[in-house]
Amino acid sequence: MRNTLLTLATLGIAVLGLYLLTQAEGSSGLLSAITLIFIWGIAAISLNLINGQLGILSLGHHGFMLIGGYVTALLMLPERERAPFRTRLLSDWARDHLDLDKWLRALGLDYVANSVDLKFVIALFLAGIAAAIVGVIVGAPSLRLKGDYLAIVTFGFGEIIRLLPNAPEVAAFTNGPLGIKGIPGNAGGVWWTFFAFLFVLWFLSRLKFSSYGRAFEGIREDEIAAEAMGVNLAYHKVLAFTISAFFAGVAGGLYASYLQSVDTQTFNFFVTFFLLVAISLGGLGSITGAVLGTAIVVLVRIYGGFLEEAYPAYVGYTGAALLMLGAFAFSAYIRKARRLRPVIETKHYIFGALGLGLLLVAFLFRGEPWMTQTVQFFGMRKILLAVILILIMIYRREGIMGRAEFSWKLVFGPREDIPTEEQRKQDAWLSNPDLNPDLQKEDDDASA
Amino acid sequence: MPLLELRNLYKAFGGLQAISNVSLTVNEGEIVSIIGPNGAGKSTLFNLITGVYRPDRGDILFQGERINGLTPDQVTKKGIARTFQNLRLFTHLTVLENILIPQHHRLKSSWLAAVLRTPTYLKEEEEMRKTALEKLSFFGPRLMSFRLHQPVYVLSYANRRRTEMARAMATDAKLLLLDEPSAGMNPKETKEITQIIRRFRDEGGYTIVLVEHKMNLVGEISDRVVVLDYGEKIAEGDYKDVVNDPKVIEAYLGRREE
Ligand SMILES: Nc1ncnc2c1ncn2[C@@H]1O[C@H](COP(=O)(O)OP(=O)(O)OP(=O)(O)O)[C@@H](O)[C@H]1O
Ligand SMILES: [Mg+2]
Repeated sequence: MRNTLLTLATLGIAVLGLYLLTQAEGSSGLLSAITLIFIWGIAAISLNLINGQLGILSLGHHGFMLIGGYVTALLMLPERERAPFRTRLLSDWARDHLDLDKWLRALGLDYVANSVDLKFVIALFLAGIAAAIVGVIVGAPSLRLKGDYLAIVTFGFGEIIRLLPNAPEVAAFTNGPLGIKGIPGNAGGVWWTFFAFLFVLWFLSRLKFSSYGRAFEGIREDEIAAEAMGVNLAYHKVLAFTISAFFAGVAGGLYASYLQSVDTQTFNFFVTFFLLVAISLGGLGSITGAVLGTAIVVLVRIYGGFLEEAYPAYVGYTGAALLMLGAFAFSAYIRKARRLRPVIETKHYIFGALGLGLLLVAFLFRGEPWMTQTVQFFGMRKILLAVILILIMIYRREGIMGRAEFSWKLVFGPREDIPTEEQRKQDAWLSNPDLNPDLQKEDDDASA
Repeated sequence: MPLLELRNLYKAFGGLQAISNVSLTVNEGEIVSIIGPNGAGKSTLFNLITGVYRPDRGDILFQGERINGLTPDQVTKKGIARTFQNLRLFTHLTVLENILIPQHHRLKSSWLAAVLRTPTYLKEEEEMRKTALEKLSFFGPRLMSFRLHQPVYVLSYANRRRTEMARAMATDAKLLLLDEPSAGMNPKETKEITQIIRRFRDEGGYTIVLVEHKMNLVGEISDRVVVLDYGEKIAEGDYKDVVNDPKVIEAYLGRREE
């Protein structure tokens, strides 16, 4: 009861906040960041179903998203964008028949066809279905292969799917390297993705906390034991792949609509890579973690732009020096927290001294020409993400959340896994012969 | 009709004949112990029965039905459940979750019904929880309150063994195969587990086949003892007769030098 109220209150605040944001001036950057967090969040949660809950490393998620993206694009493409010069490689048949609008009108559902929103819902659903069908196919090898081998196969599938749109035969449906442009944007702006995100969050959390979700986690923990306990491995693995692919397809459709175009570069392996970074950062197996991780990754990508601008060289030197000093302090902090001795090792002192030296150099020579010429580092955002990931893997392998999920109980209690004073006493009575004379007697029996 | 019947089973790993010509019948309500020196093939026999390995030759019948060739989950659905010699619990899941997963195969609701939390699904889930508590209550109150919600990796070794037995029971099996249920337990815990195994049969109605090295446990509860050595059945019968059988003594102690 209390928890339901808290959830509703949080939702209310989120809706209100989002509403105020849409009304505010100059918030478009933030809004598009939020939109992206929702879209990538859906993809990350769905990837987490396979990688985190089922415990299978799958590297082909971008393939599922691509299928969803193309299906949505094709079905939603408005009449005027279907002009032959825009869709040169698309076959006439695909151009004329793969059109949701026409289908709906043929069925006499004109009022649905008149609403872009409703059409979008249907297109996303079909996109999910298409991706799910492919998910079954990609999931099938998971029945025979394990671990790294399976990861390679899923990667292969993902790449095949990514390259297919360029093949001449397939280009009749995908418009080849030109891609499809002019897809209507998310009609309701950020709201669209917000509600889609909430739905997926709801759906997949419900799945996780159901008997099926437990079966998935059983497979992750110990496949042999799960099978011995009656869990049908083939069925559950393919089921997880299918559901995951479905929502990946939905995310792909949302993203295509966000960009208002798709081509073969929209969904490359980096998509899966960023999703992997996000869920590893947040904690494999945790839906909360997947969302948190996605938020971090997206924010770094969007607001990390300043890292890649042109600066005078001394800014770069100062930055590097500060990073080194930061690493020095961080290592000391970690070693102190872990009660390691010495708190600061010699090599750390040297490292810190180098950082200090660099800072000094940057300060002293800041006027020199080699210090004032501008330099620019492209790819800094990716490097930053990689560094964050490395740090997480070294210092907190299980990610920010570990396998835990956010819940109101976790925050406000009651925690069922922590014994109350009474339970603790009872437990001691059960197991401690000093307190319980019955146990003492049994002890004598046993040794006799 | 015997509950379980093994007919001339053979299993080789490469050149190693792990099981050769083993026949065995287990009747309903019996407690049968399988003993034998290390590497005798006891665990392999369990793996054959539960479908982890396929026998090279021979038949396995459960309630008169041939079950060799079935996958482990299908065998479990037929009504045979096992514990593992080296615990194989779902370590990061809670005790309760560990005992709910083996009941999953009986769930009738589809995954969509489970997500939508239909009334039927909720009722099934409720039943599963009840069954879980019922199975855990065999082991007294120690796993019942807060430990129910603790992940398995924080449990003591003896509690993990107990959880694994409760997990096997929760599959709704008729026949329990227990692979060294008392391994790693102290004398007091062993004594307790002996009584619990007997209660499995008397109160739970299970038929039990167990592999054990602790002879006092075996002697105390077995209706019948089967001795394996190098994959062959070398003796079968009453505990007292079996332990005095010269062939068995030889298997354990080696042949006396003449
Ligand atoms: N998968 C396998 N591949 C190859 N050899 C195996 C395999 N499983 C078991 N063996 C061999 O088969 C023989 C019987 O092993 P098994 O585990 O059944 O013995 P056990 O009677 O259970 O012994 P213990 O008392 O030590 O548990 C051993 O020699 C073992 O090395
Ligand atoms: Mg063994």
